[in-house]
Amino acid sequence: MPSLLMEILLVASLLLLGALTLFNRHLVRACTWFVLFALTVSFSWWWMGFPWLASIELLLGAVLTGAFLFHALGVGPTAKRPSGLLAGWHDHPPPRGRALMRLLPALAMLAMLGLALEDLAEGRASVALWSCGMGLLGLGLWAFALHRHLIRRLLGFNVIGTGIFLILVSLADETERAAAHGLIITGLVVAMLGTALGALLIRRLEALEAQHGRQHAAGGHAI
Amino acid sequence: MSQAWLPVIALAASLLVVPVIFALPERAWRARAVVNLGAALFKLLMVIVMVFGLYQGRDYSFRFTVVEGASFLLQVDAMGLMFAGLSALLWLATTAYAIGYLEDSPNRKRFFGFFGLCIASTVGIALAGNLFTFLLFYEMLTLSTYPLVVHRGHPAALRAGTIYLRYTLTGGLVLLLGVVAMHVLVGDVSFGQREMLADLGPDAHPMLIVLFVVLLMGLGVKAALVPLHGWLPRAMVAPAPVSALLHAVAVVKAGAFGIVRLVYDVYGIGLSHELGLLSLLTGIAVVTILYGSVRALSQQELKPRLAFSTVSQVSYIILGISLFGPFGTIAGLSHLLHQGLMKVTLFYCAGNYAEELGIHRIDELDGAGRRMPMTSLAFTVAALGMIGMPPVAGFITKWYLGMGALQSGMPWVIVVLVASSLLNAAYFLPIVHRLWFRPGPAHGRGRWPEERNLGRFETSTWLLLPTAATAMFSLATGLLAGVAFSPLDLAIFMANGEYRP
Amino acid sequence: MIERLGLVSNALPAQAEELAALGGVLGLPLLLGLLGGLARPARGWPVAVVGVLPLLALGWLFLQVAGEGRVWTVPLGPLSLYWRVNGLALLMLLLTQAILLASALYAPTYLRVDVQAPARRQAWFWPLLGLLATSLSLIWLAADLLLLYFGLELMGLVAVGLMLLPGKADALVAGLRYLLLALIGSLAFLLGIALLLGAWGRLDLAGLTEAAEPGPLLWVAVALLSAGLLLKAAAFPLHAWLAPVHAAAWTPISALHAGLVIKASFFIALQLWLVLTPRSAPAAWLVGGLAAAAVVWGGVMAWRAAKLKDMLAWSTVSQLGYLLLGFPLLVGTDSTVAAVAWEGTWLQLAAHGIAKAAMFLAAGNLVLATGKSHLRELAGASRRFPLALLSFGIAAISLVGLPPSMGFTAKWLLLNAALMAGQWIWLAVLAAGTLLSAAYVFRVFRYSFVEDAPSLDFRPVPWSMDAVALVLALASLLLGLVAEWPLSLLRAAGGES
Repeated sequence: MPSLLMEILLVASLLLLGALTLFNRHLVRACTWFVLFALTVSFSWWWMGFPWLASIELLLGAVLTGAFLFHALGVGPTAKRPSGLLAGWHDHPPPRGRALMRLLPALAMLAMLGLALEDLAEGRASVALWSCGMGLLGLGLWAFALHRHLIRRLLGFNVIGTGIFLILVSLADETERAAAHGLIITGLVVAMLGTALGALLIRRLEALEAQHGRQHAAGGHAI
Repeated sequence: MSQAWLPVIALAASLLVVPVIFALPERAWRARAVVNLGAALFKLLMVIVMVFGLYQGRDYSFRFTVVEGASFLLQVDAMGLMFAGLSALLWLATTAYAIGYLEDSPNRKRFFGFFGLCIASTVGIALAGNLFTFLLFYEMLTLSTYPLVVHRGHPAALRAGTIYLRYTLTGGLVLLLGVVAMHVLVGDVSFGQREMLADLGPDAHPMLIVLFVVLLMGLGVKAALVPLHGWLPRAMVAPAPVSALLHAVAVVKAGAFGIVRLVYDVYGIGLSHELGLLSLLTGIAVVTILYGSVRALSQQELKPRLAFSTVSQVSYIILGISLFGPFGTIAGLSHLLHQGLMKVTLFYCAGNYAEELGIHRIDELDGAGRRMPMTSLAFTVAALGMIGMPPVAGFITKWYLGMGALQSGMPWVIVVLVASSLLNAAYFLPIVHRLWFRPGPAHGRGRWPEERNLGRFETSTWLLLPTAATAMFSLATGLLAGVAFSPLDLAIFMANGEYRP
Repeated sequence: MIERLGLVSNALPAQAEELAALGGVLGLPLLLGLLGGLARPARGWPVAVVGVLPLLALGWLFLQVAGEGRVWTVPLGPLSLYWRVNGLALLMLLLTQAILLASALYAPTYLRVDVQAPARRQAWFWPLLGLLATSLSLIWLAADLLLLYFGLELMGLVAVGLMLLPGKADALVAGLRYLLLALIGSLAFLLGIALLLGAWGRLDLAGLTEAAEPGPLLWVAVALLSAGLLLKAAAFPLHAWLAPVHAAAWTPISALHAGLVIKASFFIALQLWLVLTPRSAPAAWLVGGLAAAAVVWGGVMAWRAAKLKDMLAWSTVSQLGYLLLGFPLLVGTDSTVAAVAWEGTWLQLAAHGIAKAAMFLAAGNLVLATGKSHLRELAGASRRFPLALLSFGIAAISLVGLPPSMGFTAKWLLLNAALMAGQWIWLAVLAAGTLLSAAYVFRVFRYSFVEDAPSLDFRPVPWSMDAVALVLALASLLLGLVAEWPLSLLRAAGGES
């Protein structure tokens, strides 16, 4: 009974944290939510009895990915106030109608998956895990369709990835667990490296832009 | 063993010249001339050796598999040798001519490199032993002539080059589709294996007719059959040796030669006749002959007039092979050579007038016979040959064409021949008249557009000698038509093989 | 068809020697890449000397399989990884090493003369190049989805890294877009694998062939896998990212990317279709439709492109359409058609890989010489730098598919297969592709033959750069006549059936 309760609690908190990560207007806060989300995911792995996955998720997902995200925003231990151009950036979400329109591809995707997994998911381990994964996938896809901003898309990418990992674990039984874990670890590394590359790129672009802006400004003075 | 390599060596001789020429520096024109002329002579020698071998019944063939179901095959037969001989002879002449013509002009290295490639493709076309190999060299010819057409690099040349490519690449593509379809239908057909198509039976006949039309469209572009001839008059902007080569051997003849191969060596004359394809060819040839002649009449410049004359004259070849019977075959095949010799002479002459006196328009030719007697004499001989006057080569063709028409039961073709000869006369005789009987700058009236005094004689020796030589050849093939190894003799040899298996 | 892919079901544990050969092929490029990063060669010859080593390793691997395809299992903890070595894999490995070696030979001079990038950034080039070779080899050799996923992701990230090296704003923006697309593609791929794993409990391709049953789950999984892969392969509606990426990257990287990286995704996609849904002809026709659109649209855009590198990028989109025609010709057709289409597809892949790499290198030389990137500014190029133009032209012959090039032979086979299958429509597609490619390629020559160009100042191109491009171009031309040789390699190791 407590395990069921715990399961429900975990699913609910994961979905909530995922939604907060994806739809919080303020980027720095969204990234903070993401770190919390990753910590919860790590805890879930541990709770399910996968300490290895939990520690890798903790290291790669929460610590490193979080660090790179904050680096992209220009938030660091030395500079407490965000200095990146994007840090104070607020999204202007599209009007409600269009936002709902963009939900459609995510729903279509979910429906397709549901159709495919109809008879498969029944005999398998955890319905809760499976539905949580689907939920995160749907949220992530929607966020991906909704936002154009790179960091938001990186966040969306990470959340979708987590959703897929959960689905993967829910589908794999004992004999296939090794393969599933191999896939998940690869996926985690890829997600971390992808985020890292994206973050470094954003910083570099900002630097170039700032340089360009200075030159521009200097030229303006000369005239 | 060594015999199988003979066609390969002949091909390689002209192919290997290309990298050598590209490697030589632009200024080394003497070395280039030696390499060019040496290779041309060597190739002529190889062809002569192969002709003798063929008469002794030797079999030269070289084959390797490119992909399953398609092989690269070089083989030597009378028809191929005839074309190879023509290309070897005219390569020699045109190389000499081009050396003189391009003296002191830029990009000579590029010109001679692609020129060599163009001739190598022609040899390949002549020695190709199946449709696949033929296609290889046919496309190579397209590519190697493009830089020659746009050689001058001015907008008109570039425009002509684009149009040339549009026509020939599309034609090549259509030919490719046809050849692929042929391979799927019957497999790899070597030239001369006529029974393969004949054995297919009547069920395949509609398909075969469609295939023939497709292949004909592919080949007809280069053969400048109406309505696929549009590129030829525009390609006139190329330098004179290129025009001469394009019209006499390389491009136009490659198309005509392909059609000859198609009719005789792939379908077989019997099957072509049975399928009614020969009447189709006759129709196309007649239209092209008359259309070309009429258009030639209205041209005011020399080279375009010659170009339309080519459109018309090449179709004599098609007409000849489309007449079912040995005489038609003889006419068609011998005209392949005759037209080459005469047309190359005419273009050399046009080039000489343009280089020496700056003449491009026909009305500027008044009295040029006095200033340039040798060139004008050569021009007159070739023009009379084109009209079909004895004893020049053209007469032989027309004579046999008439006999072939009677033999195949199509006497109306004779009317076409007469009409065409009259048209030929109508556009060539005024030029001859202007050359000899109109007073012009040489008589103290007016001035030449741009006189240059290129050589000790009437013009540069490099230009004059090839002109005289090809004119002599045109005359000799007519006069000595009955002698062994003459084009007529070869054509009779082949016609015998065709109709008496 | 499974036998052609070398996926025999009796997998054997790899012997020590076989493992060593495998390790050599996979590990040596990486090792040499690290070495290159430390040494930063400034000339081509040390690269040439060292670059032979992976080829030797490949030869050793070839000796190990000795004429028949093998599947080896290599245990890794509780997992067992499946490796497949057959004619196809060997051919792809050879192609990879050839193009990589060419790029590596081109790079030192290029980096020194043209880019003049800071040393730190140049140092990154070599390890990434080695890593790219390793990941590509992994993809050709992998016979289970876990390895494929790993290889694909590694390749994607390395490719992004290589794109970013120029460090200029346009390269960064293009790289950013490429990164996002690669990540999306990998998510779709992972989801597809998850479904397969959940449904049939195994990831090795040979096992999946037997286990997989048609049904909605399989279709959704294949759709996800293909969507992810085709996005990475720049197949028709998902191609928009390609042109900016190519335009901004360093020349040898563009060559590698167009020649190999895109092909790897295509390779995986085709392989998965043949393994999972070998009979689903209607879906394959859908891909065929995309192929047709790619050929025409890519061709038209290449024709209209103003810059040399853009033209080449769009031509990649168009040429990839030829490859995608392999789907309708291989999936659900009878064995005689499939046999011809099989050879045609891989020959086309190799032909385009070599020819496009040569064209990029030659184009890089032209751009270096003129200092301009527009087609119009090539006026007079035929006189001033004939060698670069010659390489470009020879490679273009293969691209257009004119004889006697490799592209021609491949097109010949594809046309044959299309006619034999009675799928006439692909004839029209191939014909349109040929004409369009001729149209855009000859635009370059048209400009280069212009004579009355103002004589701008030109930089001389180092001979080694010209030589590399020329050798690659000649290979693409002459391998067409002896295509029987690569094809026999394709057949040799377990390709007969």
